Amino acid sequence: MKNSFEDHEVITRLISGNDTALYQLYDKYSGALYGVILRMCRDRTKAEDLLQETFVKIWNSIDTYDASKGRFYTWAYRIARNTTLNSMRTKDKLIQTDDLSVYDNKETNEEVPDYTELKGSIKTLEPHHQKAITLVYYRGYTHKQAHKAMGVPLGTFKSYVRQALKQLRETYTKKLVYIWIFLELMA
Amino acid sequence: MMEKKKILEEGLLELYLTGELSEELTDAVEEALEQDKSLKEHFDALEADFERMGMEQAIAPSTAVKIRLNNTIDQTKTTKTNWLPLSIAAGFALIFGLSTFWLYVKWQNAESNLSTLQSQTSQLQRQVGNLESEFRLTSNRFKSINNADVLPLVLYGNQKAPNGKAVAYVNHKSQLVLVNPKGLPSLPKDKTYQMWSDVNGEMINMGTLNTDNELVPLKYIENAESLNITIEPAGGSDHPTVEELVSYVIL
Repeated sequence: MKNSFEDHEVITRLISGNDTALYQLYDKYSGALYGVILRMCRDRTKAEDLLQETFVKIWNSIDTYDASKGRFYTWAYRIARNTTLNSMRTKDKLIQTDDLSVYDNKETNEEVPDYTELKGSIKTLEPHHQKAITLVYYRGYTHKQAHKAMGVPLGTFKSYVRQALKQLRETYTKKLVYIWIFLELMA
Repeated sequence: MMEKKKILEEGLLELYLTGELSEELTDAVEEALEQDKSLKEHFDALEADFERMGMEQAIAPSTAVKIRLNNTIDQTKTTKTNWLPLSIAAGFALIFGLSTFWLYVKWQNAESNLSTLQSQTSQLQRQVGNLESEFRLTSNRFKSINNADVLPLVLYGNQKAPNGKAVAYVNHKSQLVLVNPKGLPSLPKDKTYQMWSDVNGEMINMGTLNTDNELVPLKYIENAESLNITIEPAGGSDHPTVEELVSYVIL
């Protein structure tokens, strides 16, 4: 499935320099991207700055986005993730050979405020699946860093991610079926 | 091309999704996605799930962010330009400019070549004109000398002009006299040779002889009995200085 037709049209306008198009995309995706950024940096003020920076980057580099290679959300997610990781590296100013140490520091005095907790279907997953998804998609860990953090082999970790995504899809499908049945009953 | 099985088993799509792959692997995965429709479908589903998950985990940022973004964009908007049409136009302008310049240079070259050719042509024309007139003169002289009616006479110099020699060509029919004085010794500037005809004991002026010329046309005098050459002051005299007689020949 590609971007919706609507997205395609909005992106075309954005490429031609229409800022209204940017705000339309902001309205649609800022929540999801902010969810990623905030869970990674765990600082509301910082996260808001990074969200703004992410959209400025989107505005400036939209002409490098290739819709045939993937969805707009995936592309924007990568920008948000990299922007956040870069800012955290600069901020911590740690001399390190392994990026993981950035997280090790955080990990020790981890006080996760409520707003960074995952919600929805992910909560129905088994804890290790939840953790795998969280580390990779919401904490900015690479797969290599994440499998070390979880203390499992890389191959096992990768299969956690795959299984987690698969289960999530099944949950979504079930939800859709329920909605469909509900709508049918209403009719 | 990388195999679909390998990509799926190694979880490369998940890594590609978050942009974790090396450039080389990214290219390989993108190539595989382009060529394998079922793999692409698999990735599309993964992206859709990922986006759905993202939407589910969304946290609304404060409205201040959008206002700040708005301000930032307004500031950059004035500087953001759509370079594509501008660069195309600039490209055309550059091509046009360069070709105009090239044509201008060509035109200038052609102009200078043309003027060079024109000056060469007029120079040649002048040369041809000179040659023609010289040729006409020479051939006229030749005709006037190499003629059955012409009587060539050699005037040998006496002790005043030892080894001196002048040749007179006399044509009684057309009444012309030409003299080649080249063989006479050259004189100081204030002197000149002058030729006289002896008619019944009277010397009649025929004209002066400049030894620089090869053939000097002189006045033809009827009934002349002899031709005489004397040295006279520059410009010639009305009457010959007999003591200065250099040469004579009887007709």
